[in-house]
Parts: sequence; structure tokens; C-alpha cells
Amino acid sequence: MLRPLRNVWRALRHRTQWETDLDDELRSHVEHRTMDLMRAGVSPQEAERRARLEFGSRDAYKDECRHSYGLQWFEGIWQDVRYALRALRRSPGFTAVAVLSLALGVGANTAVFGVIDALVLRPLPVKSPERLTFVEPTTHSYPAYRDLRDRNTTFSQLFAYRASPIGLGADESTARVWGYLASGNYFDALGIQPFIGRLFHPADDAAPGASPIAVLSYECWRSRFNADPSITGREIRLNNHPYSIIGVAPIGFHGVENIYFPDVWVPMSMQAEIEERPWLEERSTKDCEVAGRLKPGVTPLQAEANLRAIASDVARQYPQTESGVDVRLTKLGLLGQTLRRPLEAFSLGVILLSALVFLAACANLASLVAARAADRGFELAIRVSIGAARSRIVRQLATEACVIALAGGVAGCLLADFILRALGSIASEEIPIRVDTHLNLIVLLFAFAAVTIAALLFGIAPVRQAFAASPSGTLRAGSQGAGLLRAHRWPVREILLSAQVALCCVLVTACFVSVQGARRAFQMPVGIDPQNVAVSGFDLGLARYSPATGESFQRRALDAASRIPGVTAAAFADSFPLGIDQSTNAVYGPRETDFRSSNAIGTSHYNVSPGFFAAIGTHLLEGRDFDWHDNRTTPRVAIVNRAFARKVLGSEHAAGLYYFGFGGKTMRIQVVGMVEDGKYQSLTEDPRPALFTPMLQQYNGTTYLLARSARPAQAVAREMEAAIRTLDRRLPQYSVGPLAHLLALAYLQARAAAWCLSAFGILAVMLAITGIYGLTAYTVSRRVREIGIRIAIGAQPRQVIGAVLGRMGVIVGAGALTGIAGGVVSATILAHVVAQAVPGDPLVLGGVAATMILTALISCWAPARRAISIDPLTALRSE
Amino acid sequence: MPPSADLLPGTLDLLILKAVSLGPAHGYGVLLRIGQISGGALEIEQGALYPALFRLERQALLSAEWGVSENNRRAKFYSLTAAGRKRLRQETAGWERLVNAMGCALKTRPKEV
Repeated sequence: MLRPLRNVWRALRHRTQWETDLDDELRSHVEHRTMDLMRAGVSPQEAERRARLEFGSRDAYKDECRHSYGLQWFEGIWQDVRYALRALRRSPGFTAVAVLSLALGVGANTAVFGVIDALVLRPLPVKSPERLTFVEPTTHSYPAYRDLRDRNTTFSQLFAYRASPIGLGADESTARVWGYLASGNYFDALGIQPFIGRLFHPADDAAPGASPIAVLSYECWRSRFNADPSITGREIRLNNHPYSIIGVAPIGFHGVENIYFPDVWVPMSMQAEIEERPWLEERSTKDCEVAGRLKPGVTPLQAEANLRAIASDVARQYPQTESGVDVRLTKLGLLGQTLRRPLEAFSLGVILLSALVFLAACANLASLVAARAADRGFELAIRVSIGAARSRIVRQLATEACVIALAGGVAGCLLADFILRALGSIASEEIPIRVDTHLNLIVLLFAFAAVTIAALLFGIAPVRQAFAASPSGTLRAGSQGAGLLRAHRWPVREILLSAQVALCCVLVTACFVSVQGARRAFQMPVGIDPQNVAVSGFDLGLARYSPATGESFQRRALDAASRIPGVTAAAFADSFPLGIDQSTNAVYGPRETDFRSSNAIGTSHYNVSPGFFAAIGTHLLEGRDFDWHDNRTTPRVAIVNRAFARKVLGSEHAAGLYYFGFGGKTMRIQVVGMVEDGKYQSLTEDPRPALFTPMLQQYNGTTYLLARSARPAQAVAREMEAAIRTLDRRLPQYSVGPLAHLLALAYLQARAAAWCLSAFGILAVMLAITGIYGLTAYTVSRRVREIGIRIAIGAQPRQVIGAVLGRMGVIVGAGALTGIAGGVVSATILAHVVAQAVPGDPLVLGGVAATMILTALISCWAPARRAISIDPLTALRSE
Repeated sequence: MPPSADLLPGTLDLLILKAVSLGPAHGYGVLLRIGQISGGALEIEQGALYPALFRLERQALLSAEWGVSENNRRAKFYSLTAAGRKRLRQETAGWERLVNAMGCALKTRPKEV
């Protein structure tokens, strides 16, 4: 039983070999015969001729051989495919719409899945990533990390790391790159093997400042060092200190965050050399992330209990700085829950919406295919009546569905690939965040599953049709009639269209809500006026300026910026609201007596120069701005926002009041002014306290120069960059451009949601138009005779349209109402995706209704015109 | 030359099985052997042999192996499998029954009815 099957299988696998063998065998026969004839005295040429003649038609026998060996199956399928292609070529409109619908549905979903895969699903490219875990809170102090590392019994490795901008000097140029400071066990814990050279180990991280070594990422090695194979041992400058490159990390390895792509790794013991201020021994600076690999057999719960016990011991020992640390274990990859939770919610919302697009595409296809199947009732009936097996017809219809599915699937994958490539190439210069999207096996499997589901959904209708094809009934009713089919098919098609319109409506609602939300987000007061402000950033720390030389350089750069024509206000700061670098500072209220860390209040903190508020467009509500006399020789002062006044100072006013800095009792600081509230870390945050202190009292080498002018910010930014270059040719500048562009990341979510949902909305409208158009056109073509009679007996155009489209109106209307209701209900989903989403907004509802009416009108226009222009004579004669 | 007889449907397979049962043979050898054992009375177009060989091979009644022929040429040699031998026995018995029955039937004279 198995043997024949195995033979066929072998033959299929070695099909070409099989064909050669067949050729050889037949040739061998003719040769043997020729030799026999020659032995009998026939001349060689004549012998060969006769041998061939006696053999008979070679090709026909070869065909028969294939057939009797069970290979005709192949030929049969090929025949079906050719037949399907011919049938599809005969109705190019149907084919185009079907393939396009499928391509859009599959493409959109595959692209969305690809992004979600890259953001939250894909495991990190390290050894057994499921045993790795992130240790919340997001950041720890380095001594606290050492306590956790040395006292735990549940981790085989617990490592610490910190992302940091680094000035990478090679040859003559210096570029700002991003790197990781990482504890010595980092690579060992992740199980990473070097691509070239070696990686660093705990011995390389033993003493502060003793290991000036660096590991490059594969991409950095490729792009900045031309993939130099003898790179190890080469000297580079990191923040103007010499380091030697010891190795290159393997392809694809990019640390432990899904979307962060560092260029270089340096041992944590070099922290003081890389960053300006050493904090490895400070418990008050909580700046490193901690993650670890669980020991075999240890559950995350056991490990969490273990670390919590250590943390509470540490907190008892150092109540000032380590109390209130809530240690939890979460999934590694997105800074624990900080990024993972919002990204997962966003992903869920988007995938649900894109699934709706997919369903709409399937409904569209199904109703198209059903209409087409009804049209082919006649053809199928003829084929059944002349003896075609039903199974054969089903096979052919299924082949047709497969061909459409395949074409749509391939087009969809190409579309998804295009979208994903476009998204993957969006790399920010500000921060090495990238969504590494590409079509991988998982994404392709997803697309394949989507196509299969679609093919099943829309392929069932014609198969049912084949079984329903009753030759006598259909043929008797004539090509126009197909009475039997009309009774069955209509309701299904109408329900499908209604469902499609409803889905479309949900998506259009989502689209309007998101666009409205994004509009609100852009109009929302953020406490600054980013229009007409030019920015250039540079880091004096990376270029090894001392605080004294750095301070004077900042002053000279500011003067240079102020001299640029048209600049009305200029200032510098170490960061700005809604920018990428955000620092926080813990403070205590004026009546606080217990200065432990759990009593501190977190605030957003900016070091600014005089004139900062004028330059960035923040209103000073009371008190005074800083001036150049607020420097190291005068008492420390601060300006706060209104939320700070309320939350920290417990007052509606701030000027003249005091608060305590993180140092406690000795850090009593006077507030000299109060500014309006703004948004600092994200657009969706609740009002949070913000603290501004003079850069002259607390130097920071990270500098953003800001200039407000009436001229285009882009041009001013370029001039500013040039002016700074004349001051120091080798100082790398970054974030050069209009402030509005630099805030893009803050607006990214609103913008991404608006883009993405608008795309879905447009897709849905396109699908709805093709769906409604298809069905209306089909109705009209089916009823040409009836309409002809109506016109002949004197029906007015309005009556004709009413008769033809009335039912369509009911279908679309019912779908639209259901859809709007669904759209409003889906508010809970949208709230995750779109900030400021208000689904009940009358403007939104009106917009959706108008869009749907317009959609219906556009799609019915051509068929309606055709209906009223039917000439009764022609219509009746055509039968 | 003896008068030739047309092959009855299905008899070619039986002839091939019989021919191969006398010893492994390649396609041309099978043809010669059929001519030999039928006294040259049964004639088929030579190419028609091959679809039948492939059918029997697929049914696992024959097995095939490439080898070198007596003329020193590459050729595919067929031999009978166990299933083939069994089938040959059955078909032979069936054929004999049929021949007997047909023989009796055709020899019948009017008065015997």
C-alpha cells in the first residue's frame, strides 16, 4: 500500500531525474533494436530509421508513461491553473478589485504585525532570552545594584547597564554616538560570543578607570570603520580619552532593549571618564538599569522575593536614599513596564483595527465572488450538463480562488515589505531608537495564515455555487434568470455588504477620532511656543571642556547666536521640555523635616541661562527671570512652575518662597519666579512640577542653544551651527534644526496614530466603494430588462433610481448605523491608541456620516446613471 | 510468418508479467521474449510496452533497476516482485478459466443445448 505512494513521492521529488530516465530508457530501446536490425544485415541508417518507426509516437508514449506512473496529477493542476488564469483574464475588473482588496487587507495587516513583532513580540537575539528578566524600578543606584548582585541567591548573573551619549573620535573627526556603560558580566550573562576579537568580562570591570577598552556593535564597525578586519587593538577616542577596541559584537546584537541600537559598549568602571560626574559610589544617583539571568530551576517569583528581601535590608541600612524602592521582575526588552505597557496597549488597539480592515476586505471579496458565481451559474450549469464532474468544477473554482489568493498574498507581502522598509529606515539622529522591521519568517507565516483565512472565507461561496448548479433549472431560466440562484444568493450578498459598510464605518470613525485627537494634541498648550525657534545642540563634556572653559564657551556661543540677524531672543539650557533628554530632580517641601528619599517629590529639572523663557516662549507669571548675576558667588535660586508651587510649596504663589533640594537641610533654595505649567515628558502626562535653575550656578556641558527669530528656523539653525563651528571646528553638533522638529518624538504617538488610523480609514472607504459599486452595478446589469419595461411604461428617472437603489440605500444605511454605534463603542480601544480621543464628538459623528453618504453616492453614481439611461428598445431586444 | 492475433485488453500486462517472470529483462528484452514465447503470433507497437511497464512498476508488481545490457548499453532492468508473482498466478488461473469457458462455449453444437 505504501510502496506505490512512496514511488510517486520519489518521482515527484526527482521529477527531472525521472524525465531523463524515461528518455534514456526509450532511447536504449531504440538503440537495442537498431543493433539487432544491423546484425540482421540492415545498413546503420536504415536500421535506425526502422527502429524509430517501429517504436511509434515517442511523445505520445511518454505522456502515457507519465500517466500510468501517476504523474498526470501534476499536469491536471497545471491545466486548472491555466484555465483559472484564462477565466480571470476574461474579467479583468473583478480580478483587479479582488487582488487589490486582498493585497490591501493582507498588506496592512502584515505590516502592522511586522511592527508589533519588532516592538514587543520578537525575543532578543541572545542566548535563552526567556530566562532573562528586568529588575524594576527602571533605574537603580550603582551601590544598590552591587548589593542586589552580591547578596542574591537566585540569579546566575545580575548585570547593570546605562545608555549614554559618547563622543567617538577616530582619525580626525568626532561624532556623537550612543553607547552602553555595562557591568563586566553583561556579555557573559547574555551569552554573547564576539564576531571579532573578544568582549569584556568581570576582570575588565574591576577597578575604576582601569580599563579603557571598548566593544563596537557590528553596524558601527561596518559603517564607521569600513568593516576593518584588523580592528582589534586600534585606538579610538571616547570623549577625548584614548580607548582600545577589543572586539566587535555579533551581527544583530543590539543590547537588551528591543528598539535601542547602541554603537559601542564600555565597562561600567569607566563611568567617570565617559560621563562628567562620577556616581558609581553614590546612592542618591539612580542612573543604571538592572537585569539578570535566573539560575536554572528558579522561578521569577522566587527571584523577586529574594531581591525584595535584599532591597528592604538595603533600605533599612540607607533610609535616606534607598527607602521606597519597589523591586519587581518584569520582562526584559522595553525598560520593564515603562515602555512595554503603553506599547502593548497601542499594539493591541492597532491590531484590532487592522483586523477590521482585513474583515472588510474579506467581506468585499466574498460579495464580489458571490456575485460572479451567480453570473457563472449558466456556464457551470452547461458544464455540469455536458458531463463535467462536480468535483472537477469545485477543483477549478478552488484553483481560481487560490490563484487570486496567491496573487493578492504576494502583492500584500510586497506592500508590507515596502511599508516595513520605509518604517525601518526612519532612524532618529537624536537617539538610536529604531524599529527593526523586516519581513522575517514569522511575519511571512502571519501573511500566509491571513491569505489562507481570506481564501477560505471568500472561496466557499463559489464551491457552494457549484453544488447548487442544477442544469435544468438554470438553463431553463436563461442567462438573465437564474431564478433559483437569486432566491438563495441575494440575502447573503446583502448581509455581507451591510457588514462591510459597518466595518468601514467603525474604521472611518476611528480615523476621524484619531485625526481629531492629533489635532487637539497639536493645539494643546504645552507651556512653550516652539514656532520660530532654532536649536543647535553640543556636548562640551564629550569634547573634554573643563567647567570653566565650557562656561565661557557657552557664553561665547550665545553671543554668536544673538548676533545672527533677526534673532530676538537667545538662550541655552541643558535640555528643554518635551525634548529627548529629560532629567528629574527630587526636592522636599519647605516644611519637610524627614529628608528620606520616600518623602521626596520628583520634578522635571532644567538648567537654563538667563532669557530662556523668552527664547522658548514660556510666560513668566510672577517674580523675575534669572540674570547674569545669578552665578556661583550668589545664593542659589530657582524658578518653578505653577504645579510646583501647588504641590511642593503648597501655595498659589511661589516667588520669595523656599524649598529644599535633594541634599536636604543644607540645600535651602529660594524661588524667585513662577512660570506657567507645561508638558514636560509627554503630552498625556498630568500637570507635573517643573524646576528651572540657573546654568551659571550648576554647570552642565550638555548644551542646547535656542534662538527665537522672525526668520525661518531652519535657516537660523544652519547659521547658528556655522557660528559655533567657527568657535570650535571639532565640536560635534547635533539636534540642529527648528525646535518644532525636535519635539517630533513627543508628538510621535499622536501623529503615528493619526497616520495609521487614517490609512485604515482610507483603505476601508476604498473597500466600501468597490463593494457598493460592485453590487449596485451587478444589480443594474441583472435588471436591465425589468428597468427597460419600467421606462417603457413611463417610469420617471427618480422612480427608476428608487426602484433600483432603494434597497441598496437600506443596506448601506443599516450598515452605517451599526458601524457608527460600533465606532462609538470602540472608544475604549481608541483611548489606548490616540491621546485626546473623544468618540462622542458631534464633529466626528457628522464627519463620519458625511463620509459614508459621500462614499455611497460616489459608488452608486455610475450604476445609477446607467439605470436611467437604459433604452427600453435595446434592453428588450437583447434577449 | 505466422498469422498475428490482436491483443485482448488486459492481456499485455499478463504477457509482460509472464515474460519478466522468466528472468529480469529490460524493455526491449521483454518485447523480444514476448515475441519468442508467443511464437511471434502477438504483435504490439513497440512503444506501447512502456506505459504498461510503468503501470506495473507503479503497482509494485515489477521492480526496476538500472544496469548494463548484453550489448554493453545502459538499460533499465525489470524483475518480478513477490506481489507480481502472486498476481501472475492469479491472472494465469483466471485466464485459463476464461479460455476453458470460452472454449466450451464456442464448441457447443445446436443439439447440446
